[in-house]
Amino acid sequence: MKDNFRQSMKWFHTWVGLVVGWVLFFMFLTGSLGYFYQEITRWMEPERPFIAHEVSTEKLLDTAQIYLNKHAKGVDEWDIMLPNARDQNLRVGWRHLVDSGKQGSRYKITVLDALTGEAVASRATGGGKLLYRMHYRLHYLSTSISYWVVGFCSMLMLLAVITGVVIHKKIFTDFFTFRAKKGLLGWLDIHNVLSVIALPFHFMITYSGLLFFLFTYMVLSTNLQINDEEFDEMLNEIYPGSTHLDSARQPSDMLKVSSLYQQVKNSWHADELSYVEMFAADDINAHARFVRHETDITYNPDDEVTINAITGEVIAVKINKYTGAGIIHNGFFSLHEGHFAGPIARWIYFFTGLIGTAMIASGLILWTTKRKPKQMKKANGPDFGYRLVEQLNIGTIVGLPIAIASYFYANRLLPLDMANRINWEANIMFISWAVLLIYPAFRTAKQAWSEQLLFAALLYFMLPIVNAFTTDKHLLNSLHHQDWNLAGFDLTLLVVSSCFAFAAYKMTSPQLSNKTSAQRNKQVSKRVNNKIVIEKRDHPSVQVTNDSLLPLPQANKEKC
Amino acid sequence: MSYLVNKLNACSPYWSMFSRVLAAITGGYVLATANSIFISQLLLSSVGKYQAIHIGLMLTFITYACVAMWVFSVSTATKVWLGLIKLTVLVAVATWLLMKLNGMSS
Amino acid sequence: MLVLTSLSFSTMVLFCLAMTKHREQVLESEISILAVRFFRPFAWLLLLFTGYISVDMYGWSIGPALLFGAFTIATLLLILLLTYRAKIVPELAIVLSIIASMSIFIS
Repeated sequence: MKDNFRQSMKWFHTWVGLVVGWVLFFMFLTGSLGYFYQEITRWMEPERPFIAHEVSTEKLLDTAQIYLNKHAKGVDEWDIMLPNARDQNLRVGWRHLVDSGKQGSRYKITVLDALTGEAVASRATGGGKLLYRMHYRLHYLSTSISYWVVGFCSMLMLLAVITGVVIHKKIFTDFFTFRAKKGLLGWLDIHNVLSVIALPFHFMITYSGLLFFLFTYMVLSTNLQINDEEFDEMLNEIYPGSTHLDSARQPSDMLKVSSLYQQVKNSWHADELSYVEMFAADDINAHARFVRHETDITYNPDDEVTINAITGEVIAVKINKYTGAGIIHNGFFSLHEGHFAGPIARWIYFFTGLIGTAMIASGLILWTTKRKPKQMKKANGPDFGYRLVEQLNIGTIVGLPIAIASYFYANRLLPLDMANRINWEANIMFISWAVLLIYPAFRTAKQAWSEQLLFAALLYFMLPIVNAFTTDKHLLNSLHHQDWNLAGFDLTLLVVSSCFAFAAYKMTSPQLSNKTSAQRNKQVSKRVNNKIVIEKRDHPSVQVTNDSLLPLPQANKEKC
Repeated sequence: MSYLVNKLNACSPYWSMFSRVLAAITGGYVLATANSIFISQLLLSSVGKYQAIHIGLMLTFITYACVAMWVFSVSTATKVWLGLIKLTVLVAVATWLLMKLNGMSS
Repeated sequence: MLVLTSLSFSTMVLFCLAMTKHREQVLESEISILAVRFFRPFAWLLLLFTGYISVDMYGWSIGPALLFGAFTIATLLLILLLTYRAKIVPELAIVLSIIASMSIFIS
């Protein structure tokens, strides 16, 4: 295509990035937030009680079971989810019949107050789950269309990552290079650094993302090789479900779950229960599966213990036998979603996801920065393509975070008894994003950037304050109760706000004259007066650059 | 014929680019599919049917990426289509041979 | 995790100092060429050691994943320091290595 392979790949890398860059930014940002979706949900349901410290596992199990005996009588299968590092509330869940007479049931989770045992009625909200779902399911689109759009974007992302490595000639010599200059070099270095330091993560995330809907995408190949029956068998091999006994319709008295737990503690030599699944409750086939936090990316059979609920004996369960390919496939899922991650690892996942988001953003900004000098010189103003990219950049890179903030605002401010409240929280998010995408058309680039950055800083700063006025789960209270997750959310909002403020400040920091470097050099050479020439040379901080360029920390806004 | 060529502006670079993109998306998909079946046949005897298919499928993204990169580095669009067709036929023949081989041994 | 990140940081500092352009950035006085020749091999050894520690602490499954995470954080920190506060890099590397070694021996 071009003169040599590297040039062609450079062209390819640019185009692949441009075609889907903004969708990828959306996916990366919602994906990074998705690592904390349980924590976000907890903040978005402020009716949930604060963390209850020092309540024993057995007491929690008893409290949950009392509630279930009252409200889930006759239900065969129910679950108790204990407070853990991600969700500090006691929860119970079981399948509720959707409509009486109609077939089908919906799994519903009820939050319990660990101290009183009462159910907590929370506001209707999509919570962090909805935000996380948008990462792969988008919004307003049907499932299959979303999966194909997401797959297309992920495939182009994979191409971008591979071509990026191919064209980065000096990947080792420039490994630690970061020239903090305004302009093309600075942005190029940012883009390179962010890509290279998390390169294994970027490869893993993209490839594993594609693997999620493997059978959707490779439908032709699958259909050519096996029929439907064999396909189901193959799926069973790859994703073995755990088997359990069904109810025998013979009522029987069960031991209390908390007493069953003693056996489990012996197996694990520790008190580290995450959740309990009960099968065939109050029946002679009753058995409970006790599960702890994942200790392995692939599969550790010791993470579960199944106990006969009538006799209290441990049942030996058939261990899932994964094929080699199945281990790799499921291992990729586990790596992508970070199931195994404890609190510190989870923050690192979140942070690295934001590095990926910033990588995409810096790439998009790099494109406009490179073409700006030439575009600004054009007689009728910049080309449509350039203006479009610039507008999409501003509207997405700053606009999407603002839209997400408005999702949180909607959660706090929409009336609690509003119809379709969940949908409207999301609608408000997308409406504000649409407004912010259109807004830059009416301002110059510099104005739009700085105004939106300031607006973002203000919005994120005000959110904890609005939180304090509308609920009792505000920062002072959560710190007082040592509920670190809730406090962490508000604190993160403040940190994000300060990052945007810093970026806005850098954006509007004292600018030199709007002349280009060529013109300034011409001026200097024209000056006969040596004094002025020397003055210009004596200011090492004076950078001879192009006008109104974006400050380099703008892409660092998430990292500060 | 030349009237059509002129009318449709068939020699413009936009058609060439469109042709390449089409080749990358559709031709690439076909070649990747063919490759996955080839790999499945290759691995059939060593890991069993389902795992062989599974591995073949998982590797398609790499083949697809390589094909896409190749499509956009070749000099003309015609070469792209010819190359894709040649490769697909080659892989299909190899797969057919392997299927015969596997069919005989099982 | 802190141990892993500290060790990763020291590894990356060694790789970085093996390059002339960064040595000039960071160090005020020159180091003998002979000593510099050992930086890169020693850095690779330290990398292997960090990997071993990671697997030892977290197992074969989660260990490598956390190792990559540690290297990402450490490299980012190093790159930012090189740009804004290059002089403190060697001292920080030494301090972090000492903390890391002590933590390993204590636990």
